[in-house]
Amino acid sequence: MKDFRELETEIKKASDKFTNIESINEFRIKFLGKKGIISLEMKELASLSGDERKQHAEKLNKIKDSVLEIIASKTEELNNEELEKKLNSETLDITLSTSKSYGTIHPISQVIEEVITIFGDLDFFVAEGPEVETDYNNFTALNTSEHHPARQMHDTFYVETETDGMPNVLRTHTSPVQIRSMLKQKPPIRLIAPGKTFRCDNDQTHSPMFHQVEGLVIDQESNMSHLKGCLEIFLKTFFETDRLNMRFRPSHFPFTEPSAEVDIGYTKKGNQLIIGEGEDWLEILGCGMVHPNVLENVNINSNEYQGYAFGMGIERLAMLKYGISDLRTFFDSDLRWNKHYGFSPLNIPSIIGDLS
Amino acid sequence: MKFSYSWLTEHLKTSAHFEEIEKKLTSIGLEVEDIQDTGKTYQDFIVGQVLEEKKHPNADKLKLCKVDIGKEKVDVVCGAPNVEKGMKVVYAPVGSTIPVNQMKIKAAKIRGVESYGMMCSEYELGISNEHDGIIRLEEKETIGRSFSEIYGLNDIVIEIGITPNRQDCLGVKGIARDLASAGMGELLERKISREKGSFKSPIKIEIQDNKICSAFAGRYFRNVKNTESPEWLKNKLKSIGLRPISALVDITNFVMFDENRPLHVYDADKIDGKIIVRTANDGESFLALDEKDYHLKNGMCVIADEKKVLGLGGIMGGESTGCSTGTKNVLLESALFDEINTAKTGRNLSILSDARYRFERGIDPNSTLKGIDLATQLILEICGGECSEVELAGNIKENKNEVSTSSSYISRRLGFEVSDKELISILSSLGIETSQTGEVIKCSIPSWRQDIHGEADISEEVIRIKGYENIPISNIRLKSKINKNILNYAQKKLMKARHFIASIEYDELVTFSFTDSKNCAVFGDINKLKIVNPISEELDILRPNLLPNLLQAIKKNKNRNFDSFSIFEIGSQYRSTSPEDQLNVACGIKSGIKTEKSWKNMQTEFDIYDVKQDLTSLIDYLMPGNKKISVSNDCPSWYHPGRSGSIKINNSVIAGYFGELHPRVANQFKIKNKTNIFELYLDELPNTEKKTTNKPVLNLSDFQIVTRDFAFVIDKKVKSEEVVTSAFKVDKELIRNVEIFDLFEDDSLGKDKKSIAIKVTLQSNEKTLAENDISEISSKIIKSVEKSTSGTVRS
Repeated sequence: MKDFRELETEIKKASDKFTNIESINEFRIKFLGKKGIISLEMKELASLSGDERKQHAEKLNKIKDSVLEIIASKTEELNNEELEKKLNSETLDITLSTSKSYGTIHPISQVIEEVITIFGDLDFFVAEGPEVETDYNNFTALNTSEHHPARQMHDTFYVETETDGMPNVLRTHTSPVQIRSMLKQKPPIRLIAPGKTFRCDNDQTHSPMFHQVEGLVIDQESNMSHLKGCLEIFLKTFFETDRLNMRFRPSHFPFTEPSAEVDIGYTKKGNQLIIGEGEDWLEILGCGMVHPNVLENVNINSNEYQGYAFGMGIERLAMLKYGISDLRTFFDSDLRWNKHYGFSPLNIPSIIGDLS
Repeated sequence: MKFSYSWLTEHLKTSAHFEEIEKKLTSIGLEVEDIQDTGKTYQDFIVGQVLEEKKHPNADKLKLCKVDIGKEKVDVVCGAPNVEKGMKVVYAPVGSTIPVNQMKIKAAKIRGVESYGMMCSEYELGISNEHDGIIRLEEKETIGRSFSEIYGLNDIVIEIGITPNRQDCLGVKGIARDLASAGMGELLERKISREKGSFKSPIKIEIQDNKICSAFAGRYFRNVKNTESPEWLKNKLKSIGLRPISALVDITNFVMFDENRPLHVYDADKIDGKIIVRTANDGESFLALDEKDYHLKNGMCVIADEKKVLGLGGIMGGESTGCSTGTKNVLLESALFDEINTAKTGRNLSILSDARYRFERGIDPNSTLKGIDLATQLILEICGGECSEVELAGNIKENKNEVSTSSSYISRRLGFEVSDKELISILSSLGIETSQTGEVIKCSIPSWRQDIHGEADISEEVIRIKGYENIPISNIRLKSKINKNILNYAQKKLMKARHFIASIEYDELVTFSFTDSKNCAVFGDINKLKIVNPISEELDILRPNLLPNLLQAIKKNKNRNFDSFSIFEIGSQYRSTSPEDQLNVACGIKSGIKTEKSWKNMQTEFDIYDVKQDLTSLIDYLMPGNKKISVSNDCPSWYHPGRSGSIKINNSVIAGYFGELHPRVANQFKIKNKTNIFELYLDELPNTEKKTTNKPVLNLSDFQIVTRDFAFVIDKKVKSEEVVTSAFKVDKELIRNVEIFDLFEDDSLGKDKKSIAIKVTLQSNEKTLAENDISEISSKIIKSVEKSTSGTVRS
């Protein structure tokens, strides 16, 4: 009976000498090749018989397995060594700079989208109207007759086209969208109308073009108390604060009665404006109950329906929220300003995520 | 509207603190805009007398003065030209603050000489613009007396904003009345003696058109002395920023600001015959008190005599009958002019006056005779003389408004319960008389409230007096939605476009909707875009295109050292100034350096393929799914004719353009870099709003993909797209993709020839393609491309 001890010793001796993949290959050929030692021994099994053959075969198979095992583990070992060497030579200077790749969204667009998001959640749809308006929609239908003193406060731009014998105007506020919408749709109505507005005024605090957002709610019960509730949710959400001092005080707009101006509290810490609490007041918007004459002008029965409207300046909201100090810089196209105050295009305002 | 606290308390008996009154004013709609405690501002300034005055040794224009200030004598260096020995002056001691610039006075050496304090001009004290010299006080002033007492500045001056509806508060009395209604005290009635007059006025009054002037009361005064006003009157006017002129004029101003009753005085000796109130004749002109000549038009209300125009009714008097110190006999006017006519005339002639401001907002008709009485009392007291009986032309109609309301209406509007009792009590505090029948409360509106016409107005009065802070807060969330969509398809498209464009490196700008017509002839018909009253010559039309303002932005930023531009705007441009001629456009510009030269990259510049890619991927994003996009050369004239393309979707409308800015236009805007632009006409994009949320069915093939390359030599002028489409159409099922991978021009190819190489990807849904399938389709591709491009395949 052969015990193959010599073979095992030889395998062990040979397997200590591996230096590279080739030597593993030689090792494999020497023992497992067609004429390898193990293969030849295997062939010889045929000449044996009975128990002897069985025992020899068992032993040889074990030895063959151990050779395969050595080949696999040594191959992996060598591969790892090789990779390690390669990795050590493959270094890059990670401090070299790379460039950015997004543009920016203008603060006016950002604020308009924030406003839409908040009011959309309260079921206000977004209505629109043209920037060139008829005198009727901009003034008369809004209970501001031709010689109303309030017209003088508007510094209206006029254009050369006319409607019904009156020169058209660049809309001085977004309120004409109320008229257009109410002529199209019967109550209940809940809308906001953001957009461009124009007044013939240009100085430190006035720009001939600016943006407003109008709000309108008409149904059978909406009242001053709902108006207060509506603006409270909006302002708290917009300024991202739980505490907000809000003050309503009487004012006058021809198209609302009662009319109110709304102030919010603030404090100043250094150069920072902190909106919400504080002894000082900032005027933020105008609002009121829609004047019955306005409803009658759009064929809505003012005995049956009532509601409220409000309007505010987008730039003012942006300035207060984002600490932008000069109104005129919005339209200056100074790319340094745009890159500084602009917003990421991936930052779409959301009620469940971030508003800003 | 400005008034002083002491003036207010002549009409209001109150125990409230000033701070309470200040808060109440704002809470009843008379917004406090400014408060000046002049007593505090001027507390340090006193009367001094110049004892000595000599030249400064080191400065020609300065003088050394010794000033007696009562308790001591101080040295003051002074630069005023009018300083002289013996003069009484206003002295600002060391430690006081100069109102006009908030400068604190310190003891200082001026050109080597010590100076303690300063002598002030009216300008420095913030009283007027007079800064030519220091104030010369009257001889009789006592040295050391407080200056604020002399000028009547020992007071608090309040400025409030009056909304256009509150004409009743354009007089101090009206403000007091409103405060009294709001529980701030008791309204005091001024005691006015009613002179009957001892003779009939020699000047008759005739109203020719009672639509423009419903009543005109006149009173003649003879033998008056138009002196300087007494101190109390001058100080009152000064305290609210009015300059005293002469007693007669000051008295009419006082009555206007006190009682909200505009008056006018005429020098009666300069009136020819009777007073005629009529509409102006076209071509008539007159010299007004502001020393300007006005050309009048028919319809304007004038006060005339038998020869000439004396004044514009309710707006401004004329120079010819103005009162001077020599005036002896005068006619006092108190009239009721039509609101609309006054507004129209004032606007037409661009005259802003305190009288116009009041008449166009509506005047209490009952003030017509009250105003005459108060002015009469003051004229007789200050100027002496005798007065005639009052001559009244026209009618003083007391058009009292009647309004019916109910507590349920008011409660429904305000959002909380207001009882009948509370409602009636608030109304009566406002002077509104009520009578109740069942639920209906009938309100009789007092003559001074010209703004209350309907029930809604009553609701405002109630909440104004009750206080807006008492409105409760109600929830506005609804149980069921009333709007299906918050944004419509077009609005979503705009928002998506904005975010997409910004995500591919463009910065969003918002520029004016106006622009300069001088640069715009190429973009549209500027004659249809004119603004009648532009803010400036450079912003005289509505923009026919977004480009002009964006190009100007590039120019501006170039000057700020930017050399790479990716900017865009989404907004409206206009075809004309008709409301319906407004379009939504997205316009992007890439210009200058695309990649900066760096350790990694060579410097490259933007070209038209950058904007083409941006535009097509934007369209892809806005209109996902199948569509046919075709490109052709027909671009508007602001594009480089050889380097631009228009994009058509589904062979119908042109949705946009891309290309290089025409060099001529670039030159006009003084831009030197190549400027690559795209425009997308968002309204033209076909509506592809999703009809189903399901995505199209996906068929995947597991058979082998094969690619084959072909190269063709074709004429330079043949578009590469032709090669791609003619290869594609050979087999729509098997050909999955055709892509150009090489393009070159070389003389070896022949004159005006180019070589285009395409890679065609083939895959079948049914089998693995065999070599003969592939060679069959290959030869079809070669034939098709050769045929449609008249080119030849390169082997």
